[in-house]
Amino acid sequence: MVAIMSGLEEDNYDRQYTDGYLIKRIYSYFAPYKKQLWVVLFAFMVLSFVSALPPVLVAQGVDELQKNSQSNTVVIILGALFVAAVLQYLANWTRRYLLSLVLGNTISKMRKDAFDAAMNRDMAFYDTHKSGTVISRITTDTQEFGDVMLLTSDVIAQMFQVVILVVVLFSRSVELTIILIGTMPVIVLAAMLFRGMARRVTRQGARVMGLVNGMIQESVAGISVAKNFRKEEMIYDEFVDVNNRSYTINLRRDLVLALIFPVMNALSGIAIAIILYVGAQYVSWGRVDIGSWFLFIQGVDRFWFPFISLAAIWSQFQQALSASERIFGLIDADNTIVQTANVSAKGLTGKVEFKDVTFGYEDDQPVLKNFDLKIERGESVAFVGHTGAGKSTIAKLITRFYEFQKGTILIDGQDIRSFDLHTYRARLGIVPQQPFLFSGTVLDNIRYGRPDATDAEVTEVANSVGNGEWLETLPEGLNSDVGERGSRLSMGQRQLVSLMRVLLEKPSIFILDEATASIDPFTETQIQEALDLILAKSTSILIAHRLSTVRNADRIIVLRDGAIIEGGSHEQLMEQGGHYAELYNTYFRHQSLDYIENAREMLSEVGD
Amino acid sequence: MSAEFIVEPKYRSDHRSAGRFIWSNVKQHPLLAFGLVLGAFINALLAAIVPNFIGEAFNAMVNSDNTDLKTVGAMAIAVLISQGARSVVQFVRNGSAAAFAQRIERDVRDELYASLLGKSMSFHDSIPVGETMARVTNDVRELNLMMYPGVNLIIGSGMFLIAPLISTPFIHPSLLLVPILFLVCHVIVQFRFVRQAYPVAQRVRSSFGRMNASLAESLDGVEVVKGAAQEDQEIHNFSALADEVRDNFVAQGRIEAKYLSYLLLGLSFVFGFMHSVYLYQLGWIQIGDIVAFTSLLGLFGFPVFTSLNALSRIALGYASAGRILDVITAETSLDRDREHHKEPMQGAITFENVTFGYVGVDGSEEEPILHDISFTVYTGHTVAIVGQTGSGKSTLTKLINRIYDPTAGRVLIDGIDLKEWDLQSLRSQISIIEQDIFLFSRTIAENIAFGHPDATKEQIIEAAKKAQAHDFILSFPDGYETEIGQRGVTLSGGQRQRLAIARAFLTNPPVLILDDSTSAIDSATEDKIQKAIWSAAEGRTTLLITHRLSQIRWADHIVVLRRGRIVAQGTHDHLLKNSESYQRIFARYESSETQKQRSV
Repeated sequence: MVAIMSGLEEDNYDRQYTDGYLIKRIYSYFAPYKKQLWVVLFAFMVLSFVSALPPVLVAQGVDELQKNSQSNTVVIILGALFVAAVLQYLANWTRRYLLSLVLGNTISKMRKDAFDAAMNRDMAFYDTHKSGTVISRITTDTQEFGDVMLLTSDVIAQMFQVVILVVVLFSRSVELTIILIGTMPVIVLAAMLFRGMARRVTRQGARVMGLVNGMIQESVAGISVAKNFRKEEMIYDEFVDVNNRSYTINLRRDLVLALIFPVMNALSGIAIAIILYVGAQYVSWGRVDIGSWFLFIQGVDRFWFPFISLAAIWSQFQQALSASERIFGLIDADNTIVQTANVSAKGLTGKVEFKDVTFGYEDDQPVLKNFDLKIERGESVAFVGHTGAGKSTIAKLITRFYEFQKGTILIDGQDIRSFDLHTYRARLGIVPQQPFLFSGTVLDNIRYGRPDATDAEVTEVANSVGNGEWLETLPEGLNSDVGERGSRLSMGQRQLVSLMRVLLEKPSIFILDEATASIDPFTETQIQEALDLILAKSTSILIAHRLSTVRNADRIIVLRDGAIIEGGSHEQLMEQGGHYAELYNTYFRHQSLDYIENAREMLSEVGD
Repeated sequence: MSAEFIVEPKYRSDHRSAGRFIWSNVKQHPLLAFGLVLGAFINALLAAIVPNFIGEAFNAMVNSDNTDLKTVGAMAIAVLISQGARSVVQFVRNGSAAAFAQRIERDVRDELYASLLGKSMSFHDSIPVGETMARVTNDVRELNLMMYPGVNLIIGSGMFLIAPLISTPFIHPSLLLVPILFLVCHVIVQFRFVRQAYPVAQRVRSSFGRMNASLAESLDGVEVVKGAAQEDQEIHNFSALADEVRDNFVAQGRIEAKYLSYLLLGLSFVFGFMHSVYLYQLGWIQIGDIVAFTSLLGLFGFPVFTSLNALSRIALGYASAGRILDVITAETSLDRDREHHKEPMQGAITFENVTFGYVGVDGSEEEPILHDISFTVYTGHTVAIVGQTGSGKSTLTKLINRIYDPTAGRVLIDGIDLKEWDLQSLRSQISIIEQDIFLFSRTIAENIAFGHPDATKEQIIEAAKKAQAHDFILSFPDGYETEIGQRGVTLSGGQRQRLAIARAFLTNPPVLILDDSTSAIDSATEDKIQKAIWSAAEGRTTLLITHRLSQIRWADHIVVLRRGRIVAQGTHDHLLKNSESYQRIFARYESSETQKQRSV
């Protein structure tokens, strides 16, 4: 009856494949294990057969004994029972072991396929699919699929058993079998009713519980604030209130769920009483023998469980199909980026040219329109403009994360579409706005893009900036663990590690989406020094948020609505008094020395 | 035990061990516990009685020549009544088990929470919020699940092991042989099985966790992976982890397939049947008794199939109880009950040769984080503390409101050693605005008035205006009544900071410690933050941990920390002359400015 309770959490999904296709595709994963599956199937049949056997054998024995109390046939029956018990154990062992072997392998294969697909989807895919949902496809959906397959196999075994039992029962008494089957709809109905009810209360419960849990979490997170203000009493009273609410809600849900088993048992009592009495009637009329009467009584429970499970399994089976659908959906998703050739980019020098490029994340909303731009090899270019002006779009097109709709992008005079993507990206050095580190040491992270770099090379790079002063606050220097996603490092340190990564890669083209986070002035100075080193060697595309970065660039390009409207050096552009001057006032003014030096006067003038 | 906050508990739980702790909580609900046990007992008995009724019916049919339908009818009614009664008993039992478990969850959480409130700030600082949260939510929930279904199932199914032993002698005492043998073997198998299966189950869980963590990391960093062309490496890593999960999964399947009690169940049925047939052939029992006895043996199925799950629940609950107890019994170093200095604070702060290192879990002192720190802040002055992340800036401020005590040296306020100050009085006169600003899921007005609940609406608005928060607050449709957090609006870091500053204006503390790590994207916002902090610093002693050069520039005194030591301190001009790293910061600015002059 546990089956009634499981799989209640979710059941909305979008269907794209036909069930037939899904089953065929699922089968393809199981196909390599055909031999094992045949054995499993055989074990199933044996299991069902021998499980159905004991009551039949006992019934037979009771009949024999009643006719002749010293009957020797009983010995044969006992022998058969013994064999059945041992076979049952062996068949179950075979089934359970082989199934976990087959399922373990198929699920693992499915996961690998899904992960492989996820790694090869282009970035446009991750714009519409949050990584969290992709993760759940790879782990949770495959897990659910496996669980349901195991459950399904149990139910199939039970159904086999029911079929065997029905055949036996029919051979004993058609009428009694019909009466027994007649009680089934009541049970199935009750099971489904309860399922609906359980779904409702758990769903309601889950909603309220989510709220209460959130409040409990908040009261825990708020402890330190409350202590700062000496408000323990107040926050404790609130907690007690929340805690009591949680108690009431949970108890109410539990009480509803606690009804299921008693009701099922009561129903089973009624069915047994009916069969007991009606069966006796038939015995007295001589229509059935006493052994069959026993068999029918035993049959009640053996009939029930499979049907109750079946009522629950159907919707779960649907869920497993939709889980597999989500997995296949991920595997089958199309990439928009298509390379036309496989030219190696090993010797790339870093000249970039946009010719009449039109691009939009959605086809009908172009971000860049007939865009032209030439960047010389070794040149550093800072892009400035309001959010949505197209700064990062340009970078994303150069990294070839996105496909553009019209025009051409030439790198070293070659069509960007003609490169082998792997060697091409290996020639790029990219630092995203949120620098991302992988768990491991600082050393591992610096050499992420060049796994073959020696420790000495990494150490040299790490010390090339500010004499490696940035390492001094790390407990074990380069060998310090950075924590999950770099959480043990400050934002500034993460930024530095990302820049070191690029320094080690010595890329032809450097792409920086500058962070906006606040960084202490010492680390900031070192970041600027690291940037200087990179800018000196590579063609640089800078999406700048810091005044000093903008000033260090060879050329500033001012973007508005996806078009270049101004270009030149800081001083030239300031003199023009155009859009750049406006941007400077909006974004950079407070970073100027002038502002820093005169803050005191400005603030004391304003007063409060 | 000393604590900063004490609630008079409803009862005292036993803290000596996890087992005693659980038991002392169980004892608080004798009626429900009794209902659970009695209900389980009667339930099993009523289930075990059905085979006897059926056997009786069989005997009636076999013995009398003119078949005794009346007795059968009576037995059918007996089945009906007993099962009806059983379902009522079962509901009472499950209901009390649920209530019992929920109450334990509630009470333990209450005790745990109260004890958390009583812990010193240094305790809360040493344990990440997520960790504490896991104790208060998950671990306490595990205790609930340990009781229901865990203990409920063990007792319930245990009764199904015992009940047949009670009804069997009514058929014939010697028939007890097989059930007793089964029971003994089953218990032995359980112990061995749990010892074998538990570690494998743990391995399955941990390998799955590792796979999940690595997967999440690869996908969150997919842009970096692609940018560095490292897809193959990531696929290779994931593949290895997925294989590990598979191997553990298969190993688990192999062990579970071998579960011997399953065989025992089948064999006990065979030998039980054999035994009863033998007794029948001796003429000691009747046909119906064979039927009754074999049905009784069928009752063993329930405990055989449920006990594993229940046992693992209990093991998990026990482990959770241990973790909860660890928190409750953790000693806390500071004491609130001292009668000491309680005067209004002037706000002159002095550090005298202060050295500080955290005390490790085992009581050993770790490498000092601060070395020989000495500086003085005059009343009403603003001190900027600068240095790299990890140089000891925030640890230094935590010594001022005695979240920690120095290992050596002293901290004085108004010339009085902090240890002489009354803790309540000390902390209530110091406001701290931390880097991560925590706001409660309430209205903006309530959050501003958190330290000063009887502030009037006018006072709140005035504080918000001084903190430059009034404008953005009014931009929300509900203004000051806007809900923040889970059910309400999400605020940016800068907005949260300004609300915290408004909070400080209301409590008006003589000393303000502000850890400013917000970044302004545009100059207009920067102006606002600057103004808010400027006016917050006005008229009180302020310690500013800041990244803003403009604030460093206008501070009265600058302290430069490096690896836990003060490497330079003084005014801006002094530092420009004497600190090399300080020079380097400003040098970049000077050079780009002069560059400008050259090109103009």
